[in-house]
Amino acid sequence: MSFEITIPRLGWSMEEGTFAGWMKKDGDAVRRGDALFELEGEKALQEIEALDDGVLRILADAPQPGAVLKVGAVIGYLVADGESLPQVQSGSEVVSHAPATAKTPLTEEAKGVATGASPSVRRLARELSVDLSHIEGTGHRARISEDDVRAASSRRGDHHAHTHTSPLTTDIIATPRARRAAKRAEINLNTLQGTGRNGRIRERDVVHAAKTHAIGSTSSSGHRVVLSGRRKVIAERLAESHRLVVPVTLTSKVDATNLVSLRAQFKTTGESLIPAIHDIIAKLVAGCLKQERRLAGRWDGDAIVLPADDEIHIGLAVDTPEGLIVPVLRNVLNESLLSLAAESSRIIRKARDGRLSGADMQDAVFTITNLGSFGIEAFTPVINLPETAILGLGAIRKQAVVTSDDRIEVRSLMTLSLTFDHRAIDGAPAAKFLQSVVAATENPAARLLMAE
Amino acid sequence: MTNDQILSLYRTMLIIRHTEEELARCHQRGLIHGACHTYVGQEAIAAGVCSHLTKADTVFSTHRGHGHALAKGMPPRELMAELFGRATGCSRGRGGSMHLFSPEIGMMGTSGIVGPCMLQACGGGYSAKLMKSGNVAVAFFGDGAVNNGAFHEALNMASIWKLPTLFICENNQYATEVPFSYSSGSPTVAGRAAGYGLPGFEVDGNDAVEVARIAGEAVARARSGQGATLLECKTYRTRAHAEGMGDFTYRTREEVDAWKKRCPIVRLKAITPAELSGRMEAIEAEVMEMVREAREFAEKSPYPEATSATAHVYSEARAASTPESNAIRPAAPSPPREISFTQATVEALAGEMARNPTIFVMGEGIGIRGGNFRTTPGLYDLHGAERLCDTPICERGFVGLAGGAAMTGTRPVIDFMFADFILDSIGEVINQIAKMQYMSSGRLKMPVLLRGCVGIGHSAATHHSGSYHALYGQVPGLRVVMPSNAYDAKGLMLRALRCNDPVMFLEHREILTAKCHVPEHDYEIEFGKASIVREGTDVTVVALAKMVLVTQGLCDMLQRENISVELIDPRTISPLDTETILRSVAKTGRLLIVEETPAAFGLGAEIAAQIADTGFNDLDAPIKRVNGVFAPTPYAPSLEAAVVPTDLDVAQAIRELARE
Ligand SMILES: Cc1ncc(C[n+]2csc(CCOP(=O)(O)OP(=O)(O)O)c2C)c(N)n1
Ligand SMILES: [Mg+2]
Repeated sequence: MSFEITIPRLGWSMEEGTFAGWMKKDGDAVRRGDALFELEGEKALQEIEALDDGVLRILADAPQPGAVLKVGAVIGYLVADGESLPQVQSGSEVVSHAPATAKTPLTEEAKGVATGASPSVRRLARELSVDLSHIEGTGHRARISEDDVRAASSRRGDHHAHTHTSPLTTDIIATPRARRAAKRAEINLNTLQGTGRNGRIRERDVVHAAKTHAIGSTSSSGHRVVLSGRRKVIAERLAESHRLVVPVTLTSKVDATNLVSLRAQFKTTGESLIPAIHDIIAKLVAGCLKQERRLAGRWDGDAIVLPADDEIHIGLAVDTPEGLIVPVLRNVLNESLLSLAAESSRIIRKARDGRLSGADMQDAVFTITNLGSFGIEAFTPVINLPETAILGLGAIRKQAVVTSDDRIEVRSLMTLSLTFDHRAIDGAPAAKFLQSVVAATENPAARLLMAE
Repeated sequence: MTNDQILSLYRTMLIIRHTEEELARCHQRGLIHGACHTYVGQEAIAAGVCSHLTKADTVFSTHRGHGHALAKGMPPRELMAELFGRATGCSRGRGGSMHLFSPEIGMMGTSGIVGPCMLQACGGGYSAKLMKSGNVAVAFFGDGAVNNGAFHEALNMASIWKLPTLFICENNQYATEVPFSYSSGSPTVAGRAAGYGLPGFEVDGNDAVEVARIAGEAVARARSGQGATLLECKTYRTRAHAEGMGDFTYRTREEVDAWKKRCPIVRLKAITPAELSGRMEAIEAEVMEMVREAREFAEKSPYPEATSATAHVYSEARAASTPESNAIRPAAPSPPREISFTQATVEALAGEMARNPTIFVMGEGIGIRGGNFRTTPGLYDLHGAERLCDTPICERGFVGLAGGAAMTGTRPVIDFMFADFILDSIGEVINQIAKMQYMSSGRLKMPVLLRGCVGIGHSAATHHSGSYHALYGQVPGLRVVMPSNAYDAKGLMLRALRCNDPVMFLEHREILTAKCHVPEHDYEIEFGKASIVREGTDVTVVALAKMVLVTQGLCDMLQRENISVELIDPRTISPLDTETILRSVAKTGRLLIVEETPAAFGLGAEIAAQIADTGFNDLDAPIKRVNGVFAPTPYAPSLEAAVVPTDLDVAQAIRELARE
């Protein structure tokens, strides 16, 4: 009995992943649950665990680290001890994915995997109008061979749609050193004007470009920072949200004095684990969502799916060096505040280390984002599709407040910004929801105790 | 002749005969891999001559050498194992039938090339004479070899230097299938000795007692300083030239049968006193058992490890006794002394000759005259004619002799004057000297220094301006040195005089008078360490010898044009320091190789290939070369100037490369 090892889907919209390397060797005995290989999906580098027991058989033509592979591609087998490999043309399966999967060649370079093509191969590519950046090399260290170029050229003849050709990229003449420099500086050779013989791009052209143009400049000869896989996903998602969602943002000031004092009380216990403001608010929000479940709806085609009580999972937007990422606190309604606090600190640390698993980021029905720590008071958070609402936390500031009995008191105030998708929710229920969140936040202890 | 002597000859011949017959059997069964020339029918010669030799006496032999090795004392099992290609063979599996080495017992090797053994035996004789060891050296060779130039050069050298050398010609009347009567203008070999002022004797080569008698006299003459002897032993091989070859296209069955009846073993038996027959039978039984055991041993022995295939190409690297780093100027500031390239090499040679009595120099005009290029002035007065030995004009001869001398423990320095003349001895250099350490699995050392002037200039024309360094760079076993200045020349010369490998030391004639600071004390420069003559950032230029100076002269000018040149002088071509070049190219991204000689298959091609391979991604421009044109060197100044790169050519190439 043998089991296929395939590229798993790690996230909602993941079509392909960047294979980062095996964690076991060919012939190793593998037990269910052992980490088998590393894969970079849309959001994070992840260890993929074995689902079965067996002896690992890595195919001779298995992908090299840096290869971009379709979800479902077979990259190896787990076989019973002594069993031979099944007669499967699995190699060709992977190769056939190459044209469609090679969209993000830069992730390979980010890993330091040398790719390249010899001058003669480059010339052939020019002659056949084949775009090298769309070919995955099969040579030593993923170097592109003439055969790879010919294969790409003939594939294009068969299914033209699969291979993009762009005269811009195929006409680049650059020295090997310039190519290496461009990769390191993440500069697109397309944007450079070579100053060598016959316009050949030399290292100095790359260095010059890197020095003289500000990062992000849009001028054609500027220093272009090509997006990382993560950033591309973020960009696509936000753009999609912007395109589809009809966002309305409501803001409300809330007296967070009790909230602050509740945290202070936790601190006096001497416990090491102190719930953060966002933990307490998440717990409070879950209670409000239970009451106003429409704010926890998720788009599913024409329908909105409302969660059950134990499906109220709340995303926490986390800023990481690689960009924004949203790990998920699960079953917030039912979990205790302390266990939520423990879980949130764990997933936030994982997020910052770039080691979140796909499961850590799935199934949120609502998101909380906190710009308060940057001193921001109010803002317009963007909804994380397919969710329908998001709550932004502003900075907590002490302010003089006129009390109902006309005294002036120092209170800790905070602004809550709720963005909702007007397609799914009308203003009134959204406002009612925000009101309930405000009320809960102003008297957190009572709410929390009631929830217990 | 005593009974014991007779029995000893008998035993030796029997060992040879039975071993050869067993080898013939093994050959038929496909157990032996290469060629196998048996000695059957000629046993009396090896047995008779070697009966007078000690272990310290040396034997140099030919393709038909099994008998010589066995007679010199090699156990049959070592010979068998060698032919079986085993690690226990006398040459550890590197040689096979035609490369049998056992220097420990004075078996200095057989050779697959007809001729060199005669020259090497002169070298063995020269070492013995120089070191006053009293040893003799013996060359065995066939009738085919006497029509080769080596015979002429060897006999002449042996004669003029009174070498303790025996030349044993085994005239079996055929060279392969060519009869001696056809290929020699004179019917006698022995008679040729007179032409060289040597004693020559014709002997019945199938009569062991007679061979032993005459050889004994020759050995005695050699040991007592009366010089060399030529013996012509008339004999016949009764098996085919080599096992498996046809025999009756060039000779008749009747002729072979007739000679079989004159079998040397049968003849010795016939004259042996009857009372020895019992002991002879015992000897025969012992020999049969010895040969049986030898084959068993060979078959059971392991093959040499494939990983050892590159071992012994060179001798073990020896640490410099006075490394260059210690040779930095002494603390007390003395005015830096400037001497010329040639003076620097003389200083090195003179110092080392004073320290090491095994060094001797050979060449034309290097004695009293002190060398055409002043390479040995004053040394003759210090060391005399044996260590500063003027030679006849026989480059092949004295280079072959140098090989034999190195094999027997001395350190020859061959001064060619013009390196063009090396080509006359190229077979000795490439086939013998360069390969000897390897073929003997490191048991022979080959400290031969071959020096000569190269380079184009002053209308020397084509026979006095060749370099061919790239050709030498292709030979495994050779070190090839080409200094560009006096400082390097001294350090490299000292290194060459102290290392155990053959070194080709090529001196560019046009820079011999160029002076620079050279410390007075002793220092060695290691081979395979390039020097960075000038540091720079834009273009790496690799140049050799005079081209280093040419390029150096351009660097300031180019710097003013904003081109910063890093100039590298490999100093040695083999080994070649590609590391340093690679590091430089990693910095500059540009590589130009400047050579005075034509580009084809040259040093530039080699460097370019290596850098394109390992440094591809460092390159910011194509690798370029500047070379001389592909033509012999002409005489007329206008023509001569047209075939070598000028400083303008080099400057232009650097500028263009910077623009690439
Ligand atoms: C320089 C050279 N030329 C040609 C050969 C090929 N070859 C090998 S043995 C041989 C014949 C040698 O005859 P001879 O010297 O009489 O020795 P014999 O074989 O008779 O013992 C020849 C031509 C060679 N080994 N070396
Ligand atoms: Mg012969």
